[in-house]
Amino acid sequence: MNDEKFVEVKNLKKVYDNGHEAIKNVSFSVKKGDLVCLLGPSGCGKTTILNMLAGLLNPTSGDILFDGKSVVNTEPKDRQIGYVFQNYALYPHMTVLQNVMFPLTVGKHKIAKDKAKAIAEKYMKTTQIMELADQKPGQLSGGQQQRVAIARALVQQPKILLMDEPLSNLDARLRLKIREEIRSLVKEVGITTLFVTHDQEEALSIGDKIILFNNGVIQQDDLGQNFYLEPNNYFVANFVGNPVIDNFKVKVADGKIKASDFEISVSDLDQNRFKRELKDGEYVLSVRPENILPNEDGHVSAHVDDVELIGRERILKFTHDGVQARSLVNLETPIKPNDDIKLKMRLDRVFIFTPEGERVY
Amino acid sequence: MKKIRWGTLIAYVILVIFAIITIFPFVYMILGGLMTFQETTKIPPTLIPKNPQWGNFSRVFAQAPFARYFLNTFITASVTTIVSLFNALLGAFAMVNLKFKGKGIIQGILLSLLMVPGEAIIFTNYNTIARLGLLNTYIGLVLPFLTSIFYMYYLQSYFGSISETIYKAAKINGASDWEYIWRILVPMSKGGLFTVGLLSFISGWNSFLWPLLVTNEDSMRLLNNGLTAFASDAGSETELQLAAATLTVLPILILYFIFRKQIIRGVVRNDLKG
Amino acid sequence: MKTNQKKAWLFLAPTIIFVSFFSIWPIIRAFIMSFQSGSLINLSWSGFSNYQYIFKDPEFWLAIRNTILYALISVPVALAISIMLAWFIFSKVKNKALFETTFFMPYVTSTIAIGIVFRYIFNGEYGMLNFILRAMHLPAPNWIDDPAMSLTTIIIFGVWTSLAFNIVILMGALRNIDPNYYTIADMYGATGTEKFWRITMPQLVPTIAFLLTMNIIAAFKIYTSVYALFNGQAGVGNSATTAVFYIYNKFQIVGTPGVAMAATVVLFIIILFVTFLQRKMMKKIGGR
Repeated sequence: MNDEKFVEVKNLKKVYDNGHEAIKNVSFSVKKGDLVCLLGPSGCGKTTILNMLAGLLNPTSGDILFDGKSVVNTEPKDRQIGYVFQNYALYPHMTVLQNVMFPLTVGKHKIAKDKAKAIAEKYMKTTQIMELADQKPGQLSGGQQQRVAIARALVQQPKILLMDEPLSNLDARLRLKIREEIRSLVKEVGITTLFVTHDQEEALSIGDKIILFNNGVIQQDDLGQNFYLEPNNYFVANFVGNPVIDNFKVKVADGKIKASDFEISVSDLDQNRFKRELKDGEYVLSVRPENILPNEDGHVSAHVDDVELIGRERILKFTHDGVQARSLVNLETPIKPNDDIKLKMRLDRVFIFTPEGERVY
Repeated sequence: MKKIRWGTLIAYVILVIFAIITIFPFVYMILGGLMTFQETTKIPPTLIPKNPQWGNFSRVFAQAPFARYFLNTFITASVTTIVSLFNALLGAFAMVNLKFKGKGIIQGILLSLLMVPGEAIIFTNYNTIARLGLLNTYIGLVLPFLTSIFYMYYLQSYFGSISETIYKAAKINGASDWEYIWRILVPMSKGGLFTVGLLSFISGWNSFLWPLLVTNEDSMRLLNNGLTAFASDAGSETELQLAAATLTVLPILILYFIFRKQIIRGVVRNDLKG
Repeated sequence: MKTNQKKAWLFLAPTIIFVSFFSIWPIIRAFIMSFQSGSLINLSWSGFSNYQYIFKDPEFWLAIRNTILYALISVPVALAISIMLAWFIFSKVKNKALFETTFFMPYVTSTIAIGIVFRYIFNGEYGMLNFILRAMHLPAPNWIDDPAMSLTTIIIFGVWTSLAFNIVILMGALRNIDPNYYTIADMYGATGTEKFWRITMPQLVPTIAFLLTMNIIAAFKIYTSVYALFNGQAGVGNSATTAVFYIYNKFQIVGTPGVAMAATVVLFIIILFVTFLQRKMMKKIGGR
């Protein structure tokens, strides 16, 4: 019916009773069958949005449409959604089978026990938890509980699956494994999924697209790679990327970009990348550590404070204007702490932001 | 080392003395109930009856309708426990899981009522029951106690410790509130409900002032009132009084020894008062 | 989910209905009746006369005096003994559950039944207590039949009954003290006495404050144990009358409910005042 905008959120607002404005005018849409990540630091409002989609919270204003129909006044149980909670919320007194069967044995759409069991077992097979059927959640590992939670969410054959930080209670190695499993599982079932996380790597690896939130506002709604290559603003540039981006305070005057100890001519920049006119004034020049490298004719002179090994690469740490900055170099670099070096930026890869964080270049 | 051992020894001696002081009245009650009249009033006092007088108990049953007292007490304590637990369960569920206007006010009123001593309202309640013509009835005995703010408050703290995502999950899974209560909340809080039930039953069993006010017919008396009446009537027959006291205390004592862990844990958990 | 779920009132309905009829209404009614005189079926307004009556009534003052004396003596004594016993069990005994189970017995048993037993233990002639006292060549007073002794007797019985709750609550509080405190104290070579006064007692303060209030409130409501000990009387010649005895007597026996309610209001205010003091104290200490 409405596959491009299978889930549509329009001008959504949420103001809590205490006056806190958790969500400020948020609009986005999700394509049918997509896995979309809602990404953001804690307290950015991503879980609030998920709760409103589920009907656990009422929006202050705005509309939510599933498959073209508004669901704002629909009870959670009638929204045809599945929900996986951060702590899984499994019923501790029921066995795995009873947990998975539960949604089929309550409410208006109750079905016969043997039928319910057959459906439950089908989804338990998909999530590979058949052999755990008679165990209680307390006896299971984190990863197993996770699968039970997903099986329970899927058993009513919902149209939309909502997952709230489902991996945050798992240890690092398991997290990598399960996130791949989740992606292949939801793709296999073909269900439209919204996945909340605060972990950018998780979002980048799992999501068909990512919506990044901060302070209750969408910062960027885009494909994963664009958060690196074309961040909308200063916040996005700084939130995404590991190691984090380097920021230099600069002044623009007389056709030059001036920092405390280097200068770049505006004419050297790629003129096609300007989003708007670069007027004289103060700005922030940002560059990812992989795009500022040691070079004899570099613009920036730096004194190396420390060299840190991270797997296949090394990070050179240096201080510029009292702020720490980084350069990402390969493993074999001869540079040692306390060396004085020159660094060169790839000017077609730098970003320029206004002090308010708006992107200029 | 020597010093520490002395401390421990003194501590043990004091503990044992107080333990004896605590247990002695119970022992004396049970043994005294099996003595002859002469043995109970002998100087120096007897502790162990020569021939246990099991007949004392049948004489108690013959002189006063103790079977009836038992039945009355059992009915009143059970009904009070079941109904007040049910009401407390529903109320605590609403206070913990539902959002509504006026919740804060209700909570405030209930909490301040918790401080009202029962003795301050028991006489006016008597007046109400008398006006309703319910003196000497089971309904009159139980009516003011069919709800317990205290147990509701206790259950609130119990339910509050269950993660709220469990309720949200149940809602999304399509369960109604009623289904949530009976299929999730109750099975998950079995321990707490059981403890509250036990304590409620015990305090119902031991109630005295209220049944004293609202019953004056022998057939409607509860155990403790029957016991005091019996003690006055059988004033001279000490051994029968002790036998009757044993009858009153023993069922609860047995219940206590079976469930001592749950009872003590329940009392400590919320500083439950009797 | 809606922010105002009206169905909540449905779940709360039984509680609200019963509470209104049997908790809130009786309080209001007690206040009203305290300004009325006559019998229950024929009440009329009489202003403050009931209050004037009780404040002039020596029996009322005796009841209040006895109640306050009982509270002021039995509560601290019971609490001190409880703290000592709880600390001994906690710090010296391996089988803590055995002692806990033993000491808690009086809490679950009927005061009436056990009061009857105490009546015989306290008996001046053939009672077990006096037998032991005589054997130890101590004075053996007539606990039950001597009016001068009746208050002492109910205080002893009161201490015996209130140890149970205190000990169990104190044990709970002792278990909640972080054992690392003691480990560190041991490392610095603290003695048992030092550990008790420097670590245990400060940690127990909130619990003790709580028990103090609970015990004092309970002490102000004393009735059943007197009734049991003195076979339905308030001691020989009313020597051990208490506030609730006075209320019961005026309400049920004498048939002046207005006077009884005036006394109830006074008792109620005293108890509220104690609760209020406790709240203040708790806030000062830092709350539990």
